[in-house]
Amino acid sequence: MKRSRSIRLVAMGAGLLLVAGCEEAKVDTAIFEDARQCEANGISAEACQADLARAREAHVQVAPKYTSQADCEADFGAAQCEVAPQKTTSGGSVFMPLMVGYMMGSMLNGNRVGAAQPLYKSRDDRANFRTADNRSVGATTGRTQVSRSAAAAPSVKTRTASRGGFGASAFRSAAS
Amino acid sequence: MERIAVEPREDWRETAETHGFRFHTFDGDVYWDETACYRFGLAEIENDIEAPSAEIEQMCFEVVQRAVDDDAVLRRLGIPEAFWDLIADSWRGQHKNLYGRLDFAYDGAGPAKLYEYNADTPTALYESAIFQWVWLEQAVERGIVPADCDQFNSIHEALTGAFGAMAPDIRAGRLLHVACCRDSAEDEGTVEYIADCARQAGLETRLIYIEDIGIDAQGRFTDLQDETIATLFKLYPWEWIMADPFGEKIASSGTRFIEPAWKAVLSNKGLMPLLWEMFEGHSNLLPSWFEGDPAASALSGDYVRKPMLSREGANVEIFEDGRRTLAAPGEYGAEGHIVQALHPLPRFDGNYAMVGSWIVASQPCGLCIREDKSMVTANDARFLPHVILD
Repeated sequence: MKRSRSIRLVAMGAGLLLVAGCEEAKVDTAIFEDARQCEANGISAEACQADLARAREAHVQVAPKYTSQADCEADFGAAQCEVAPQKTTSGGSVFMPLMVGYMMGSMLNGNRVGAAQPLYKSRDDRANFRTADNRSVGATTGRTQVSRSAAAAPSVKTRTASRGGFGASAFRSAAS
Repeated sequence: MERIAVEPREDWRETAETHGFRFHTFDGDVYWDETACYRFGLAEIENDIEAPSAEIEQMCFEVVQRAVDDDAVLRRLGIPEAFWDLIADSWRGQHKNLYGRLDFAYDGAGPAKLYEYNADTPTALYESAIFQWVWLEQAVERGIVPADCDQFNSIHEALTGAFGAMAPDIRAGRLLHVACCRDSAEDEGTVEYIADCARQAGLETRLIYIEDIGIDAQGRFTDLQDETIATLFKLYPWEWIMADPFGEKIASSGTRFIEPAWKAVLSNKGLMPLLWEMFEGHSNLLPSWFEGDPAASALSGDYVRKPMLSREGANVEIFEDGRRTLAAPGEYGAEGHIVQALHPLPRFDGNYAMVGSWIVASQPCGLCIREDKSMVTANDARFLPHVILD
């Protein structure tokens, strides 16, 4: 047969091709406060250290950023913030929450789904770990399951300096 | 290969709407036309379309390799020097390509002749992959065509498979952003379909208009939520990107583009003379030269003159016996022209038919037919479904 065996659309249109809406898939991962806890769960010291290092590296990039310590502490609690290496455009300090744990990069069917990433706890919910995108990933440390989108690398929030630099040539349809 | 008049499904318009196919009619003129279909034999598909398409894709890779090794080729194509490194880096870095469409003149008798390669921003994708497939299912069910009809169309499987192969890289950046220009229902339909395929491969997607893309102080592209764009599928041609103010920001932006920058070598009609130079006499190629090349005198008086970057047949001119017999309207041409031996499209019941051969992740996987009353297939062409039946 020279044609697709079946086709379906998940978002476009509807009707006979629509598949039933389903819950987002969960992926296996693990959450730890530090590398020692990770090793105690039977994961190799090498993997524990490597993912912790990756999460620390990502922490600087993806942690929510504030221009005042008070604003940061309002969200994350007293003494739960640190100075970020970034500066504001006028040279002022930038603050971010402390990293209180990390999520291992997860695997699904042998494919890497998520990158190792830092975790935080907000002032009003000290129980649950949260990603930099403020998705709760539960209170338990050790092996756990999280939604696929929470396991994905966190978005990098930034400030847009200007828009409209693409599209100037679009006086015709792009079709060909 | 033949054109067969068939009964349209009474409810095809409603079916189109329920499947999200909103551009089936343009400005009151029918675009999706199922009053007829084309029938191919399996050997015609496999030997005359599929195999040559696979071979041409490999030949195209040789052209890209040559272009990144030799600045003179990029200069000949009119690609701005500021983008030569971007193209070379995307090629050497093996940035993955997603899709393209080879346009052939084919009549079932002689070899298919390649007109051009829509390698960067081809449309007609959704109607080829989905609506044509649905038509066949229903046409068989309702006895409109014989039950043992098949179709050269695994485009949908190929697209979801291609996104699956790209998924680990894209996920590392979290989201796949999918962009097109404002105010084109056809372009929007195409990117919605692309996003749908990506989601089926497990990716998270976000649609954005190309005009809404921003940039932050570190030179990273951003979306309307102020999130950085790690991977961008853009239904927006590379030559326009290169002319836009943000074009020069791409190299340091960190954004990965689909199609990659090296596709700019193939979507340029200068590809045709380059292919002819490297594979002269190949049965699927038409003799072609850059305009002004003394060798082009071999064309005598019958040839087609095409702007290197024209889209949808714009500004294509046909010369017979040295006299211009047809000139399509448009606003292209300042970038230079190629000339190509005249090999008119075959006519079926008064319609000129162009065969589009879909390439996904460099593998041929499907076919579409567009018909026009004019010898130059333009954006008012109609899409007709096809079947394979021996």
